[in-house]
Amino acid sequence: MRRYVLRRVATLVATLVFVSVLVFVVIRVLPGDPALIIMGTEGSPEAVVRLREALGLNRPLAVQYADWLRRALAGDLGVSIQYDVPVSRLILSRLPLTLPLMLMAATLMLLTALPLGLYAATRHRRVGDYAAMVLSQVGIAVPSFWAGLLLILLFSVRLGWVQSGGFAGWAGGVWPGVRSLLLPAVALGLFQAAVLVRATRSSVLDVLREDYVRTARAKGVSEVLVLGKHTLRNALIPIVTVAGIQLGQLMAGSIILESVFALPGIGRLALGAITARDLPVVQGVTLFVASCIVLINFAVDLLYGVLDPRIRYE
Amino acid sequence: MRQAVALRVLASLALTLALGPAAARAQGTLVVQNSTEPPGLDLTATPASATAGVVLYNIQECLVKVDRHGKLVPWLAERWNTTDNRNYTFFLKRGVRFHNGRELRAADVKYVFDRAMNPETKHPYPGYYAAIGDIIVRDDYTITFALKSLNANFLLNLARQGSVIYPREAVDTLKSEPIGTGPFRFAEWVRGDRIVLARNPEYHAKGLPKLDKVVFRFIPDPNATLAALKAGDVDASLFGLGPEHAQELQKDPRFQVIVGDTTNDVILAMNNSRKPYADVRVRRAITHAINKADVLKGAMFGMGRILGSNVDPLNPYFVDLAGAMPYDPAKAKKLLAEAGYPNGFETVLKVSPQYDYTVRSGEIIVDQLQKVGVRVKLEQIEWGQWIARVWREADYDLTIIGHAEAWDISNYANPKYYFRYDNPKFQELFQKSEVTLEDKARRELYLQLQRMLVEDAPAVWLFMHPRLVVAKKGLQGLWKDLPIPSADLSEVAWTK
Repeated sequence: MRRYVLRRVATLVATLVFVSVLVFVVIRVLPGDPALIIMGTEGSPEAVVRLREALGLNRPLAVQYADWLRRALAGDLGVSIQYDVPVSRLILSRLPLTLPLMLMAATLMLLTALPLGLYAATRHRRVGDYAAMVLSQVGIAVPSFWAGLLLILLFSVRLGWVQSGGFAGWAGGVWPGVRSLLLPAVALGLFQAAVLVRATRSSVLDVLREDYVRTARAKGVSEVLVLGKHTLRNALIPIVTVAGIQLGQLMAGSIILESVFALPGIGRLALGAITARDLPVVQGVTLFVASCIVLINFAVDLLYGVLDPRIRYE
Repeated sequence: MRQAVALRVLASLALTLALGPAAARAQGTLVVQNSTEPPGLDLTATPASATAGVVLYNIQECLVKVDRHGKLVPWLAERWNTTDNRNYTFFLKRGVRFHNGRELRAADVKYVFDRAMNPETKHPYPGYYAAIGDIIVRDDYTITFALKSLNANFLLNLARQGSVIYPREAVDTLKSEPIGTGPFRFAEWVRGDRIVLARNPEYHAKGLPKLDKVVFRFIPDPNATLAALKAGDVDASLFGLGPEHAQELQKDPRFQVIVGDTTNDVILAMNNSRKPYADVRVRRAITHAINKADVLKGAMFGMGRILGSNVDPLNPYFVDLAGAMPYDPAKAKKLLAEAGYPNGFETVLKVSPQYDYTVRSGEIIVDQLQKVGVRVKLEQIEWGQWIARVWREADYDLTIIGHAEAWDISNYANPKYYFRYDNPKFQELFQKSEVTLEDKARRELYLQLQRMLVEDAPAVWLFMHPRLVVAKKGLQGLWKDLPIPSADLSEVAWTK
């Protein structure tokens, strides 16, 4: 187990180094550097040159990267070119929005997908199954940003129940914060659930065909126990795998939804930083997101062992 | 019983949900939607119009101000005089206080302009101050600018966004917490979400500002903006909505839609150094081949004004030359044949979808040019790439963009500018206009400059991008036109 954990940590470090090099090169290869974008079309060329020097962008790429890496290892992710604020502070300031949003979306996703998938599997090729599949097909086909806009139109513009966007923060209590994240969490979570419904259905269907399920039913075990104890647990491994991937997808989906709902989260920070070529922020956010995804995968791997004690980590 | 409890819970939930922040908003508060978050709030470091839209004339002010009609009026300087147009003496208004409580003195003004002229400080507009030779503080309230050469735009430049006055002790925090003398103090910036300004109780203009608080909320998506307006979460959108939304909201009795003039000239630029656009006949042919009325109708729903040259309608020297090179496809074909392109040619039009109107105009123009044999490939590129490739390196055939800067006919006098238009006669005439201060003579020069551009057709001036403001009914005092990129909210108020 210890060797396994060490190997995973090494993978994490290698991934982060690879991602950081990739982002560094890609952002620099793109035409348009931060100095040009900050100065826009109205700044004088001399001002652009001076700003580029001040930002250290006139140094060779390798020197810039080495400098960034040295600081990053010491825990300093640099200062945002756009905001003039330390990158780590910027990322931390966005977490009170992004983390609860992810959590709410993920909860919604699981609470919808698992029962619906299970239900569809037990009603195989009957009306309930077809209805669940049509629903999930709609969920897959509808882009989340559009779903978000529809939700805004219904619940904010028409009914006036929640505000159309923006984040109330947590200073005024839990409810105002949760309320401002409700619609985006629904748009993100419910529509991501669509894929998971299908995965759950097919995995449960496979297990339902197993001999031990037939035996359990023949023994007269109640259907609830058959599904809950004998079927679902054995079906969970592929479901957990897909759910892990979906969690990563939630992060990607939040980039667009945060723009639609005008939420100051990690996604919008990343998008704004890419447009402004705010390299320290792009680097910082990418590392953060990459770490999260690697950690989610790690957690999924560990869950396999919990779900199926036969799995060993060597 | 259980149903009744459930209903009660639902009802209380709905009530809690309904009491949104919109209901709780104070009368003296204005929530404004901004599409773009400013890249820092230091007007002496960034030329971004998103920064000017928040800071200029709200937090920080200048010696001279461009008012809502485009007129230069005394502001932090209550008056000035000059006898030779080389030495300008400004008399500062007394009792003007910065937001940190300290009184504005002439030494502050000198510090601000000395800093702007210092190349080390990376000021975005060093050219504005190139004519200044010396700045002499006469006393605490009197200061003289001695110019090295005549400069017709000197006073205008003092009213622009790079010329705001701030206290020297606040210079290090200008980017994140700007201090000035304006009607509003900077209160809070929640990055990615909003900037909040609070009323300056010690403002030097009596009775202003009328609002207690202004919140600029950053909503990049126009559809989300529309929803926020309709849901009552924002009160006004000053720059964020397109003509398609304005038209829809015009029919909604809850809103007022203000359509005004701006200094933003939307042009189809041609690379004058590249074949075939190096030939004036081709440039004229392209101009004749474009039906600007259709472009305006298709791209802007008819809002805006057709232009014929590069001086905007808010400029005092504007002449309407919209009909000078009329839509005439037969003439365009003839000119192309004369230039050696009887079967037209292939070309690429680069636009950046960051600005919707460029793509929409581009699609119509592609179709119009096709009719005279010019086969255009429309290429959409990201804004950063547009700035690097098109604007800086002039690596393009055709492009569409709005030039929002006032008095930017100067760009045509710069052969290195991305138009690559190099006409020594134009350059000479422009230089003359820069040192001619007598109004009638300068007007005559500007007329000649505009006519010369029409003849040379270095670009096709499509239309003036309109100012489109949508606000809740009951909001008064918003600027109709936009002679300078400011969202001056000092006189804005809710009707009781």
